[in-house]
Amino acid sequence: MKLINFEFLKLRKKSRGWLGPILVFILIMTAFPLTVEILNSNLEQAFFSVLWIATLLVMMLATEDIFLEDYNDGTLEQTAIKYDSLALLVAIKIFVYWSLIGIPISLIGALYAFGITGSIESALQILPVLIITTYIFLNIFSFGNALSLTKGSILGTLITMPLVLPLLVVLGKVVIAINLGISFLGFLFLLLGILSIIILILPMVISFVIKAHLE
Amino acid sequence: MKKILAAENLSYSINEAKLFQGLSFELHEGNALHVLGSNGSGKTSLLRIISGLTKPTRGIIKKYNTKNICFVGHKNALKQYLTVEDNISLLEVDKHIDLNIFLEKLELNNLLDVMVANLSYGQQKKLALLRVFLNDSDLLVLDEPCVGLDKNSKNILCSFLRDQKEDKKALIFSSHLSLDIDSEFINLDKVTS
Repeated sequence: MKLINFEFLKLRKKSRGWLGPILVFILIMTAFPLTVEILNSNLEQAFFSVLWIATLLVMMLATEDIFLEDYNDGTLEQTAIKYDSLALLVAIKIFVYWSLIGIPISLIGALYAFGITGSIESALQILPVLIITTYIFLNIFSFGNALSLTKGSILGTLITMPLVLPLLVVLGKVVIAINLGISFLGFLFLLLGILSIIILILPMVISFVIKAHLE
Repeated sequence: MKKILAAENLSYSINEAKLFQGLSFELHEGNALHVLGSNGSGKTSLLRIISGLTKPTRGIIKKYNTKNICFVGHKNALKQYLTVEDNISLLEVDKHIDLNIFLEKLELNNLLDVMVANLSYGQQKKLALLRVFLNDSDLLVLDEPCVGLDKNSKNILCSFLRDQKEDKKALIFSSHLSLDIDSEFINLDKVTS
């Protein structure tokens, strides 16, 4: 519980850490209609693609220094000495980032979905998909960030990019299901399944990677 | 006296460069060990190996009855964008009964609302050393603890470390400055080959 409070305090007080990605997301979602002819049908066609890509990019941006700051100032060293496992810290960090960045972006994304499609049903259907997807993205990009901790975060994130491509395919199928009005619950459970595996395995893998960097 | 730590045949290399080889020593409760050596001789590496952060190339460290290790290295583990008070809570010493005494001794008591980024290097070092002053550890591992400290703070630290020795805590430190602490010595320049 103490670790959760500390991580919330750190991210909350570092406003550029959580507010920056949210503002970038709003900027992308607000600016994209300017590049499309102002007809509702055109907007609707492009909206979901832009939503997924914006979510992906913003999650990548959000994890840019998820471990780097703690590595540079020695906090990770202290945590590694104090606790037997760094995996708990990693899992908590990702959870806090998801709470302060992933969930707000999911809510804003759903709001935009309502604004563009005019359908509250679509917005409510897209919300749980966004909530799960942002958590998955954060885990995967945190892994990438840990891989290239001392070599610049973008390199590691790019290495992990192929891991998110199958997810984009699933997200595309979700949108088709929503647009056709057929059940998308199968895809939602698939995403939940992916998430449950990822949140169990990746924090442990990331903690090994970080320990290797600390040595 | 109970044994706290034993190093057996420790060697450490970075790439092809051998920093030290075949280093063995024991540390008992109430003992202090001063690690000496020129720059790059492996003082920091040795302290990190003892803390468990780094694995030796060869040899082992055995720890006996060591519940907690307090380590202060070159990095202060302070958050620059947080206030002194927030950092104290991150150090997990905010509930310590002696907190106010040490804040006053180190002249940090009037700086609680100040962002760490606005403190001088010495003040930041003193704040980081609260981890040592308010520790709950059997073994203190300090890497150049006096760097950046003024004379008064250095005296407070030395006096505190002498008290810790009397309380049967073990202490291992590296320092280029002479510290008024009764200790044994390891000179890494003499075990490097």
